[in-house]
Amino acid sequence: MAEIKVKNLHKEFGVGDDRVVALENVNLDIEGHVFVSIVGPSGCGKSTLLNILSGIETASSGTVDITQDSHDANPGYVFQAARLLPWRSVMENLMFVQKERDDEARARCQRYLDMVQLGDKGDKFPGELSGGMQQRVGIARAFSIEPDVLFMDEPFSHLDAITARSLRRELHEMWKQTKKTVLFVTHDVGEAVELSNRILVFAKGGKLEDDITVDLPFPRDPSDDAVAVAKAQVLRKFEELDLLAT
Amino acid sequence: MRRAHARRTATTIREVSDIVVTTDERPEGRQRSAEEERLLAQRRRDTRNKWLWRIAGYVVVLLIWEYGFQAIMELIAGRSLNDALLPGPIRILQTIPDIWEDGEMLSNFGATLTRIGIGFGVSFIAGALIGLFTQNKWLDSFFRDLVVVSLTSPGLVWALTGLIIWGFKPLGWIFAIFMTTFALVSVNISEGVRALPKDLLDMAKAFGVSSIDRQRHIVIPHLAPYIFTAVRFGFSIAWKVTVLTEVFSSNKGIGFQMRVTSQVFQLDEFFTWVLSFFVFALFLEKVVLQRAEDRYFRWRQEVAT
Amino acid sequence: MTAAAMDSRPRVPFYRRPVAARILMPIAVIVVWYLVYWTLGSRIFEPPHRVFEFMWNELTLETRLRNGKGPSNLYQMFGLTVVRLFAGFAIAMVVGTVIGLAMGLSKSVNAFFHDWVMAVLAMPALVWALFLGLVFGPQGNQAPIYACILAGIPFVIINVREGVRNTPKELFDMARAFGVPQNKITRNVLLPSLMPFLFAAVRYAFSVGWKGLVIAEVFASDSGMGWAIKFWYDAHQTRGVIGYALFFVAFALALEKLLFEPLAEKAFKWRPRVGDVGVVEEQFLLDQTVEGALEVEQFTGGESDG
Repeated sequence: MAEIKVKNLHKEFGVGDDRVVALENVNLDIEGHVFVSIVGPSGCGKSTLLNILSGIETASSGTVDITQDSHDANPGYVFQAARLLPWRSVMENLMFVQKERDDEARARCQRYLDMVQLGDKGDKFPGELSGGMQQRVGIARAFSIEPDVLFMDEPFSHLDAITARSLRRELHEMWKQTKKTVLFVTHDVGEAVELSNRILVFAKGGKLEDDITVDLPFPRDPSDDAVAVAKAQVLRKFEELDLLAT
Repeated sequence: MRRAHARRTATTIREVSDIVVTTDERPEGRQRSAEEERLLAQRRRDTRNKWLWRIAGYVVVLLIWEYGFQAIMELIAGRSLNDALLPGPIRILQTIPDIWEDGEMLSNFGATLTRIGIGFGVSFIAGALIGLFTQNKWLDSFFRDLVVVSLTSPGLVWALTGLIIWGFKPLGWIFAIFMTTFALVSVNISEGVRALPKDLLDMAKAFGVSSIDRQRHIVIPHLAPYIFTAVRFGFSIAWKVTVLTEVFSSNKGIGFQMRVTSQVFQLDEFFTWVLSFFVFALFLEKVVLQRAEDRYFRWRQEVAT
Repeated sequence: MTAAAMDSRPRVPFYRRPVAARILMPIAVIVVWYLVYWTLGSRIFEPPHRVFEFMWNELTLETRLRNGKGPSNLYQMFGLTVVRLFAGFAIAMVVGTVIGLAMGLSKSVNAFFHDWVMAVLAMPALVWALFLGLVFGPQGNQAPIYACILAGIPFVIINVREGVRNTPKELFDMARAFGVPQNKITRNVLLPSLMPFLFAAVRYAFSVGWKGLVIAEVFASDSGMGWAIKFWYDAHQTRGVIGYALFFVAFALALEKLLFEPLAEKAFKWRPRVGDVGVVEEQFLLDQTVEGALEVEQFTGGESDG
């Protein structure tokens, strides 16, 4: 089981008129097998939070503490654009992030490629795949290191609605089977309600405004009444916080 | 369960008390945060560093040129060299007033510039026309090999060919300039025309904008960067090939002066001619072209930043 | 249905096909050549058939040049030039890559060298040729090789520097997020992303270095292809000048078709073959990356030609 603790996290960019506060005094505590969505208007520091948690960016101040079962484990990350190495084959892309280049790792990568239904595409270059397939490779890559914690930054926002929907279902299945802690950034409230146990609402200026628990059984069908009601509730929260205007 | 701090925490975290987070929202009255102070200091340091290193570059190169040139060149050449062959920057600077007073500077400059102007003018018009022609598939195939040959072969062959056919008559050097630069112009113009924003033109038509206004507000602004690139590249090649033709047969011009001065081992004057053309090219680039571009491309964000 | 009916495309007469236009261009050149020959009535200028005859004689070793050391032929001159070209090219690549890497990685190093690299770039090869000829004399290979290096090196430096500056930040971030070790990142991200820029550097260093080399051979050497064309020019033999000019063009085209195009094919097989973007990028002298790079410089860029 993993635990993520964030204390007094502050991040800003630029000087003077260009100054942007991306995160302001954020405190978080996430534990165990949960799916946490982070929603909010664009420019509210959602992606910045993931980047700091994963070590891509450094914070201006505050502490981040990620506890995992094995001490050398690395969180997985699924990016908005797949970020595959265009000059390496799909299989090589997965092997790139493995700690060991042994047969075991190779078998594991193959297993996760099978899971995203790309088992026969291992020899292809990313440029030969469609956008949806590339994103699936990105998901397989994140799972293939078998992390306790998984960060996802609007992974489906570049895809068409139908592809996104089937990938959401696949993702949910994988999360259920592998019992990971997932932090999922999205601007789509419906997506957040469909997938998560917990929704964190950020406002412009990087303030954590609300922490909503969604207590509905899985699998959730977006056309289901209970899910629609929950979505309406979250959107009402948005209205209360005056987030819709932006 | 093992508990471990993620390795990054150690490096990225500072005491919270370092930071002054002010709640004052007014931009003028707001006190700068610690992060802003750090960023500003970093920027100041970067600018200072950049200039220090740049000046260091000039100082080091000029010092070596002035005092170590002879030793280095003798080491490479493996024999002792007359120091008339290796003038330092100070001696080159001293010869500038001499040439200026002779009145040589202006007349030679004028001769070369006239040739470049005429030659490149002709090439530009012809190249632009060919660029327009190549929108047609048949004409594109017709000109394709000529364009490739022009882009790949050395200017020297056109300079010599032009000279041997026409001698140092205008047609000789116009031919040389044309053969080295027209392809560059035609490729750029052709690319520009091919990339014309059809959607914007359709939009303008839908709003009933007149043809003249469509040219003025859409076609010309769109083509401008392609034309600037063509002029910039074309000019730099034109000047090199012009100087080359002047070396072979002329009695005026920068190329002629380079030949004469190097034949009589006056390399200080030789480098003065090179230097003076550099200054001119720099002026043309930084003042004329850059200004025109800045004015024309204000709408482009990457130019502004 | 008959075979004729199945061919739904209207029949295009041969002369209207692009292929015909391509064949027509050399014919037009030869026709114009004859016209110029007749209208000029020059004693020096010669018609195409004489030039082709000369070229044939050169290829079959009928004619011999004399360069003080005894007679020599096209193949010897050509061989000398190619050896010099590879020597100069190799040195320019090694030194240029080192400087370019340093300039791309460090702002200080960039500030130190930048203006001087631009000055060397804008210098006509003629200046190097005249100067090096005086310093090294016409014997030996030194002057041509140095001219080749000086002409080619700024292009290598600028391309490598731009390559380092344009490394894909998002891929480095990805690798860092997954905790991939540095040497693995260097091998799998940095080097492959530099490849297109290195390739452009190779191409430019070769083509521009060659042009500089030939000019140096004209003014500062007693052997090589450049010297040969100068020999015929001084002898007022049009057939020699134009014949050698055509050899030059043939060499340039062969270099492009036989060396660079297959090389590009091999090096960039991961690039999708959709659209013509890749094609434009790999055309001789029209490389987008390099033109972009030079545009950034905003100095008298272009080729070190003439």
